[in-house]
Amino acid sequence: MFRNVVVRLVTETGRVKNAPLIQRLTATSVSVRSFSGVKDAEQQQPFDGSLLEFLVCPLSKKPLRYEAETNELINEELGIAFPIIDGIPNMIPQEARLLQKDTDASTSPTQG
Amino acid sequence: MAASIRPLLRRAIRSSHRNVGVAAAGVAGRSGCCRAPSTCRCFGDVAGDRSTHFGFETVPESEKAKKVYKVFENVAQKYDTMNDAMSLGIHRLWKDMLLHAMRPQPGVHLLDVAGGTGDIAFRFLEYVRAQRERQKRRAPSWRDISEDEDEVAPRESRAVVCDINKEMLRVGKRKADSAGISAGLSWVAGDAEELPFGDDLFDVYTIAFGIRNVTRIDQALQEALRVLKPGGRFMCLEFSKVTNPVLSRLYDEYSFKMIPVLGEVIAGDWKSYQYLVESIRKFPDQEEFKHMIEDAGFYCVKYHNFTGGVVALHSGFKL
Repeated sequence: MFRNVVVRLVTETGRVKNAPLIQRLTATSVSVRSFSGVKDAEQQQPFDGSLLEFLVCPLSKKPLRYEAETNELINEELGIAFPIIDGIPNMIPQEARLLQKDTDASTSPTQG
Repeated sequence: MAASIRPLLRRAIRSSHRNVGVAAAGVAGRSGCCRAPSTCRCFGDVAGDRSTHFGFETVPESEKAKKVYKVFENVAQKYDTMNDAMSLGIHRLWKDMLLHAMRPQPGVHLLDVAGGTGDIAFRFLEYVRAQRERQKRRAPSWRDISEDEDEVAPRESRAVVCDINKEMLRVGKRKADSAGISAGLSWVAGDAEELPFGDDLFDVYTIAFGIRNVTRIDQALQEALRVLKPGGRFMCLEFSKVTNPVLSRLYDEYSFKMIPVLGEVIAGDWKSYQYLVESIRKFPDQEEFKHMIEDAGFYCVKYHNFTGGVVALHSGFKL
């Protein structure tokens, strides 16, 4: 009887450990593009590339480009970048980051 | 146009007060001046900020968005619990009625604005999933029997939840993750007055109990018109005017006496819930809101009262 309890305990904890993994797997299977999220120290959730069909810049209503390194959505024309936090793109106009004029990529000017 | 000046202005403002919490956009950018900001960002008219109501208070338009943001940031964690407590669970029925009126078919793309914790989106996904099941169980249609293997797969339903408040979205996303709902559901932080979506994209646009918090309702309505496909439907669930005088009296008593107390007890926040009940009183009544929707360019605008007018469902089409 005691052994049964121990066996049950082990299998239950095993199941519990697997459940979040399964959820994480279903979450990642939704994203279309490759992403750098998992290897980050900040543990960012993956960005769902299929959202890009819908998303545009809220100011100019033009399409955006997804930048995997900085995990941002870039509007080249206006030179702004919208951050993606925890897999949720932040498309509020006031929270866009201005890109440096001289660099083409998004190496960050540190801003508030 | 203003679009090119705005980012520069914003940069100037942001660098001058880094520590201010992120303020949501209220007023659309104008090519007006920008006063040295001490407490608020300002994109007001050249003549100065227009004022609007924040509950029973009068505040400059640029302030309202920030204050509303704070309210929902504070209540986000307890939002669902408070909804249940305040409406005695009836808010669930109201939202179910919204879905019922919508009757979405599988393959519909929904945009739920001010969707916060995701109630409408979850119900939508559940509804279309049940519809799909029902379709599968029926006798095979010509499409199923057809030999053409290259046909495009049936269109997947999608729900995009858009909210200006990141805290509310976070709560919603957490709910979705723990319920295991992820397929076809997306979360975006955005402003209802400046939606980050292209034109003619969505079949249905819903905004449940959110539009009264928007600073420029007419702008939100115009954005709704823009992102909807032709034939798309606009649906708005919102608190409205109670028609019956007896019920109205009871409702007022309950609102002003009970709700802030509940807010204090459950969420530890009297003022936010005071704002809530006041903002309901300031929102236009059913007919007036119907005219606003028509002015924005929607057709066949109708409304339906629930619970004696406590809540009204307005619906219009983009034709």
